[in-house]
Amino acid sequence: MSTKMNRRDFLKLSGVAGGGLILAVYLEGCLPGANTPTVVPVTMTPSPTPRSPFEWDADIYLKIDNAGILTFTAFRSEMGQGIRTALAMLAAEELNIEWSSVRIVQANADPRYGDQLTGGSVSISTYYDAMRLAGAMARQMLAEAAAQGWDVDPAGCSSEAGFVIHPDGAQKISYGDLAELASKVARPAQAQLKDPAQFKIVGTALGHWDAPGIVTGSAIFGLDVRLPDMLFAAIARCPVFNGSFTKYDDTDTRAIAGVKDVVALGDRIAVIAENSWAAIRGRDALKVTWDEGSGATLDSQQMMQKARERLKKTDKPGLIEAYYEMPYEAHATMEPMNCAAHYHDGICEVWAPTQSAQDVQRAVARVTELPADKVTVHLPLIGGGFGRRLQTDYAEEAALLSKTVAGPVQVVWTRADDLQHDFYQPMAAQYAYTTMDRIAIPPIRVANGGGVPTGAWRSVGEFTRAYSEQCFIDEMALAMGRDPLDLRREIYKDDDRALGVINLAAEKSGWGETLPARQGRAMGYFATFGVTHVADVVELTVDENGNIRVNRVVCAVDCGKVVNPDNVIAQMQSGIVFGLTAALKAEATVKNGRVQQSNFHDYPLLRMDEMPLIEVYIVPSDRRASGIGEMGVPPVAPAVANAVYTATGKRIRHIPVKPDDLKA
Amino acid sequence: MASYDLQINGQTYTVEAEREMPLLWVLRDLLGLTGTKFSCGEGVCGSCTVLIDDEPVRSCITGVAGVVGKSIVTIEGLSPDGSHPLQKAWIDERVTQCGYCQPGQIMNAAALLKKNPKPSDEDINTAMGDVLCRCGTYQRIRSAIHRAAQEA
Repeated sequence: MSTKMNRRDFLKLSGVAGGGLILAVYLEGCLPGANTPTVVPVTMTPSPTPRSPFEWDADIYLKIDNAGILTFTAFRSEMGQGIRTALAMLAAEELNIEWSSVRIVQANADPRYGDQLTGGSVSISTYYDAMRLAGAMARQMLAEAAAQGWDVDPAGCSSEAGFVIHPDGAQKISYGDLAELASKVARPAQAQLKDPAQFKIVGTALGHWDAPGIVTGSAIFGLDVRLPDMLFAAIARCPVFNGSFTKYDDTDTRAIAGVKDVVALGDRIAVIAENSWAAIRGRDALKVTWDEGSGATLDSQQMMQKARERLKKTDKPGLIEAYYEMPYEAHATMEPMNCAAHYHDGICEVWAPTQSAQDVQRAVARVTELPADKVTVHLPLIGGGFGRRLQTDYAEEAALLSKTVAGPVQVVWTRADDLQHDFYQPMAAQYAYTTMDRIAIPPIRVANGGGVPTGAWRSVGEFTRAYSEQCFIDEMALAMGRDPLDLRREIYKDDDRALGVINLAAEKSGWGETLPARQGRAMGYFATFGVTHVADVVELTVDENGNIRVNRVVCAVDCGKVVNPDNVIAQMQSGIVFGLTAALKAEATVKNGRVQQSNFHDYPLLRMDEMPLIEVYIVPSDRRASGIGEMGVPPVAPAVANAVYTATGKRIRHIPVKPDDLKA
Repeated sequence: MASYDLQINGQTYTVEAEREMPLLWVLRDLLGLTGTKFSCGEGVCGSCTVLIDDEPVRSCITGVAGVVGKSIVTIEGLSPDGSHPLQKAWIDERVTQCGYCQPGQIMNAAALLKKNPKPSDEDINTAMGDVLCRCGTYQRIRSAIHRAAQEA
């Protein structure tokens, strides 16, 4: 017998066949809670006549069309952490549909999706179950639709690879053919989740769904948004935080070909032009007199000194203590801040590469004096977030400017704008201390600077805390004459997840094996936000000029259940590189109220030729899935400082560690 | 303003531009070829790299007047359908994270492979050292270049 019933046969059997006829079908919900009989019209056109497109909105996340394509609506911001792919994997898994049949679209700002703020690495832990439930519900509704057509018990139907399979195990019908029928089926009261042992998508290594568009240049990032008749704007902002302008001369600006207008925008001045280059040149040609205000004396070096003085020392006998200093850090996303906006007809549309679409919606509503429901926020892809795009400043500028000039505008930030008008990782002085008889995580006191805008930066205060804590644990080990690994095993002896990653990283790294002269090996461990445990063993070489070469990083991670193991590895690699840039290379310094760095020559990122070999090992776990986007960052910087000590005998208590710190 | 005929991805485009206008902005803002990315604007990050007569060039610091008569290839023209060995290798090695720098990474790698079909790690360091990635995908970029070199 035929193993695949064609659609025409199925529709005949199910009694709904007919060329374009509208038939009344009696659908009886047969799952608990779905017992209200419904009479609904069903329009069908039999195969092989081409059908008009039909798409079933199974819920706010999932649509299945009559070609069998699942369109997943991603509702968290994608900035490289792979969340669109991971959420879709969970839904597709429960739906029993092939990954090749999945498409992903992005939701606008929309409260139906809850708070869409994408930060804190919480998307997977928050939505792991919800995505499975959504997929399971849709799977059950498709099975119900098929069962009605076959007149069988839906409990006897199964599904696989985009088909519902008849209880006889032979006949099957595709989701595409069922989409319209399923749209009339009552939602089941209860979802029946799959046994994870049957997972075919979750747990496999998949690349990001967005990759094909990225490698061909067709993916649309914020800066790639193009609207009809759109103008481009560059904005002059006071180089001193919270300053403003007193006057400006735009004669030279207006002489530049392509410049259309110069407008004041609150405390800043916008140059609007036919293209980005003219806008940037026009902005640079403005002669502005700034009112720098009280921020003009800010100096990060002085701030650090004062912060350190504020830290209260502890006086106890037998004390060991240390101060650690962390600078301001910029986000330095490869895609500079930008936003396109179109204010028209009493509404404002924005295309914002943002981590918080609803915050952008509220901010735009506020600055344009529109009700929030008149503000539409579209989300293009994001060329790096790292917390910077939790802010809404770029979108406020674009929206206000579009309202001012009554047309579509894209605000473009240059690299200098981006580095000098960031919301920085706070600088911090830290004081760690302990008495020698206390084998525990050391107490740490923190003091920050002030006057510089600060905000979330990939792993936030966990990065700061991990550095002092994990460096100090190595200092404790030294003072006690103990191996730092053994000391960690004792400190974390009641935390099996900590021990799991510490032991795995140590084992894979060859901990204890002798290294050549001027090489060091050391560990950092941290459970970022208390949920995802990561241990790094760093091996590095320090040459006689003090140059540090990180040769190898062995990383062990326990993030509970894993959706996409390859993405866990990718995010650990990414976090390690991010942490190495902070540990070895870049810092934002403030002098005379200004951030001194302006581009990648003085805010240098780790490069290909400086890249260590990174090995990542995942601890298998059935615990609740936890985040990975930020968790790779904190442990690596202290591991570097500790390894520098083992290589050179010099204890560095600040970042970035520079060759001058280590010259023999 | 002057008129320039440009050979981009095998097609001729005529643009009206200032002679110093960087090719980057000609591509992005005048021609709508947004695959070539703006990041540093000073030729220090490589995100804007295109091929000009097979050489990797930072389009953000290359004036339009100087590229007339030359063959310009952008990420959109590297292959008609994403089938260039590097594009396939980028997918197979699962390189991309945020993806913003990747068109520039791929164009730099394409220039490398044209000159040196089997690059060593050291060759890759030299050719790719100035192409920055904040997501830290370097290890996978390296693997993808080796894979493309083997499969080409």
